[in-house]
Amino acid sequence: MSDQTDLIQGTLDLLILRTIALEPMHGWAIAQRIQQISDELLRVQQGSLYPALHRLEHQGWITAEWGVSETNRRARFYSLTKAGRKQVATELSKWERLSAGVNLVLART
Amino acid sequence: MRLWHIVRTRTASLLFRRRREAELREELQQHIDRETERLRAAGIAPEAARQHAVHTFGGVEQIKEACRDARGTGAIDAVSRDTRFAARRLARDWRFTVAAVLTLGLGIGANTAIFSLVNAALFRPPISADPDRLVDLYQNGSNAGGIDGNSYPGYLDMAASTDVFAGVTAALVPLGVSYLDDGALRSALAEHAAANYLSVLGLEPALGRWFSAAEDTPGAAVVAVLGHEAWTTKFHADPLVIGRTIRVQGVPVTIVGVGPAGHRATVDIGLVTDFWLPIQSLPAFGAPPRALTRRPDEAGFTVKARLRDGVTVAQAQAAMRILGTRLAAEYPNEDAGKGISVFASRDVRIHPQMDGMVRVIAAILLVVVGLVLAIACTNLATLLLVRGTARAREVSVRLALGATRSQLVRFLLTESLLLAATGSVAGCLLAWWATRWLAAVDLPIVVDLSLDYRVLGFAAVISVVTGVAFGLAPALAATRVDLAPTLRGAETRSSESRWLTLKNALVVFQVAVSVALLGGTSLFLQLLSASRAVRAGFAIDGVAMLETDTRYAGYSDSDAGQALEEIRRRIAASPGVQHAVLTRGLPLQREGFPVVVEGTTAPAGVTASARRASATWIGPGYFDALRIPILHGRALDGRDRAATPRVAVVSESMARDCFGTADPRQAVGRRFRLERETGADAWIEVVGVARDIRADLIDPQPQVFYRSFAQWGAMPTALVARTSLDGAGLVRIMQRELRAVNAGLPVVSAGTMAQSLEASLAAPKAVATFLAGLGAVGQCLAGVGLYAVIAFAVARRAREIGIRMALGAQRGQAVWAVARDVAVLVGVGTGAGLALTLLAILALRSVVVATPGIYVYRPTADPLALLTIAAFMAMVGLAAAYLPARRAAMVDPLVALRRD
Repeated sequence: MSDQTDLIQGTLDLLILRTIALEPMHGWAIAQRIQQISDELLRVQQGSLYPALHRLEHQGWITAEWGVSETNRRARFYSLTKAGRKQVATELSKWERLSAGVNLVLART
Repeated sequence: MRLWHIVRTRTASLLFRRRREAELREELQQHIDRETERLRAAGIAPEAARQHAVHTFGGVEQIKEACRDARGTGAIDAVSRDTRFAARRLARDWRFTVAAVLTLGLGIGANTAIFSLVNAALFRPPISADPDRLVDLYQNGSNAGGIDGNSYPGYLDMAASTDVFAGVTAALVPLGVSYLDDGALRSALAEHAAANYLSVLGLEPALGRWFSAAEDTPGAAVVAVLGHEAWTTKFHADPLVIGRTIRVQGVPVTIVGVGPAGHRATVDIGLVTDFWLPIQSLPAFGAPPRALTRRPDEAGFTVKARLRDGVTVAQAQAAMRILGTRLAAEYPNEDAGKGISVFASRDVRIHPQMDGMVRVIAAILLVVVGLVLAIACTNLATLLLVRGTARAREVSVRLALGATRSQLVRFLLTESLLLAATGSVAGCLLAWWATRWLAAVDLPIVVDLSLDYRVLGFAAVISVVTGVAFGLAPALAATRVDLAPTLRGAETRSSESRWLTLKNALVVFQVAVSVALLGGTSLFLQLLSASRAVRAGFAIDGVAMLETDTRYAGYSDSDAGQALEEIRRRIAASPGVQHAVLTRGLPLQREGFPVVVEGTTAPAGVTASARRASATWIGPGYFDALRIPILHGRALDGRDRAATPRVAVVSESMARDCFGTADPRQAVGRRFRLERETGADAWIEVVGVARDIRADLIDPQPQVFYRSFAQWGAMPTALVARTSLDGAGLVRIMQRELRAVNAGLPVVSAGTMAQSLEASLAAPKAVATFLAGLGAVGQCLAGVGLYAVIAFAVARRAREIGIRMALGAQRGQAVWAVARDVAVLVGVGTGAGLALTLLAILALRSVVVATPGIYVYRPTADPLALLTIAAFMAMVGLAAAYLPARRAAMVDPLVALRRD
């Protein structure tokens, strides 16, 4: 587990928004997807995932609906709201500026 | 869109909390299940897979809490949780809760009720448009420049000063009138006002119109404007009332309008004016012509003026000074030495010379009641402190288990605020009931005593401030507990042996004040019984009276006399009736006049009271009917007619004091006259001396002269009869005969002599009840205070009591150890209260100065009453101490020792 990186504060929101932008997903699947796509480099703690999901719903970026999962179980599916889609773009540009800035600093020293 | 979404999810989170919790649980469970499946699919044994999934998931409850916090409903959840928990705690400690709510309720209730009274009299400004430009004008009294009212001609002179005033208007002080409505005679207040009254105030009638200048002329048909409150309460807010003719004082009056809403009276002291009538209609209502003349004793008009644009109050005052000087020169007899004072209306509440006193009285009332509330709040703080001490262990356990101080303070504060809210609701209910009760007290005037928003606001502010004040201090103290010693049970006991604590002082103070209030009550009860005892010199049993008003039945004066005589004859002929006579006014109603006795010099240097006497107008047989003995000379009878010389019978006291004779016999044959009547035929000869009748404490030696209707020409208005049978039955007979002669004659008043005498004691009775009520509130508060102090002492000394009992002390000794404290506090408090009462009695006795003709009741200390009060207080104190003392004695020594 030492090769897995803890997420920087605030990036989890972006990852969640970006992940469910493709299709509505439930909590477990979101965690799995982030892990898979990042080649197991990023690991989402349940302790932060669910509060983050509820916070995003509370802020109106995402909405939740009960549906049936791929294993025929009742699950809570999260999808982006209209405002959420705009938010993804905002968060993305914010992230790009941040990482660019960090990279620049690292490259010059 | 997003906003709508947010509102929807947040409302749902709040409203469907239970469902939300279930969903959260299901969602997290689903995650664990799915993870378990994944691990099993990877080939791990089912049990191990589940364990691993649960393990990696982490603390489910923490995640749930984090999710709730993320939803932002955490704070509201916490508050509602705290509230529910506090409510459960309060319900469990119901004894404490009842004591606390009672304390607060009484404190806030008494405050709100008294504030309603003060509010009605002081804080409600009379309404008018642009009140800053209104001024009040007063003619100064001729004596030492005091400020007086205005005469009608004086008002007209001021109204002519159009250079400084845009408009000047006047209204006479309210008069009590009767009016006929639905066949029943009702009483009301009427103000006679000028035609420009509303326009000067800048107000509009709510309905119809104000009367015109043409209607305010002598001899015009009388019109009236209804007060808005009279319209809504007495005339059911009926718009068709406009144009209706009703009878006021027997005079037909056409209603032309309804006054503006919220405008109660010219001088707004809580009295409500029902009818507004033109000033010039005064003679139509029977007022003598001098009412509108320039006489110093006819100065009952309030004058209000609107300043011309750009004119200041000082400029108006200067103009009025000139006018005052001119009037003094023009009317040396009436207006000499007088000036005119101008006050901005907003600076005057009732009258410039009375305002200071009214404010002082109001301030005293508020201070007294504020003191009661302060005691109530301190009581509560003590109660909460007692609980805090008893709960010190609970608090330290919570702190040890990881509760934060802020969580604890929040919870304890919630509890106090919940208590304060319950207490203030109880207080408002109590105040509502108290003002209704006050309003139901049969006073001769209508006082507007509604609970308005200011009063409610006052109560709300008091309760919130109280809640925070008494909640925060004990709450903070409770959390500042030093953990280790409290958990071990070693409590500090430094304050225990001190006697001179604030708490004890407050309890003693409460006991003293409530004892003093009860002492005051006993004084008034004494006054009542003395009032009843002093009545002598006339018949009470079997005497009944009936008053009517012939004007309502449309009689001419001579017809009215015959009709009344017919009623008298029929009553006299009824079975059991021994006497029936006609009178004017009821037997004990009197009207005082300044009199001049022949052969004495002008009244200069003689006290005014010695020269005043009251007139009673009677028909033949009056002295027999009321069993008043004629001591010298003769009674009035059929010999005294309009053509014969004027004669009178005078009372013993009048014979002695007015005529200055040691022997009343010598007054017979002498003559006197009313000061205002001059001329040769004004002299009245004394033909007899009747024994004094004493009816009240204010004037037990009344100077009365009796005169016959036959010599005056005024109509009788009432009948007095005496029966050998039941007086109440006689009242029914009299009413029956009245109706039999003319069903249109209204009953102004009817009752037995005993009832009428009892009714005259309404005011001292009301004061006695009020004091007794406050005394009872004081007793309740003092009882609660004692309970709290003793409970506190017991809680602190449980260990000591346990040790004593383990060492063999008897139960009684343990109770005594606790009860001793109560006994000392109650003893000191009662002693102080009794001393206060005695001081008040002494002060009252020393204030009373012997004034001829005016007798003031001198109270005496009644040992029996004072003993009763002391015993009552001791009982309340012991009852309050019984519960905690019994609990102390019931303590199982082992439990007490183990617990602490």
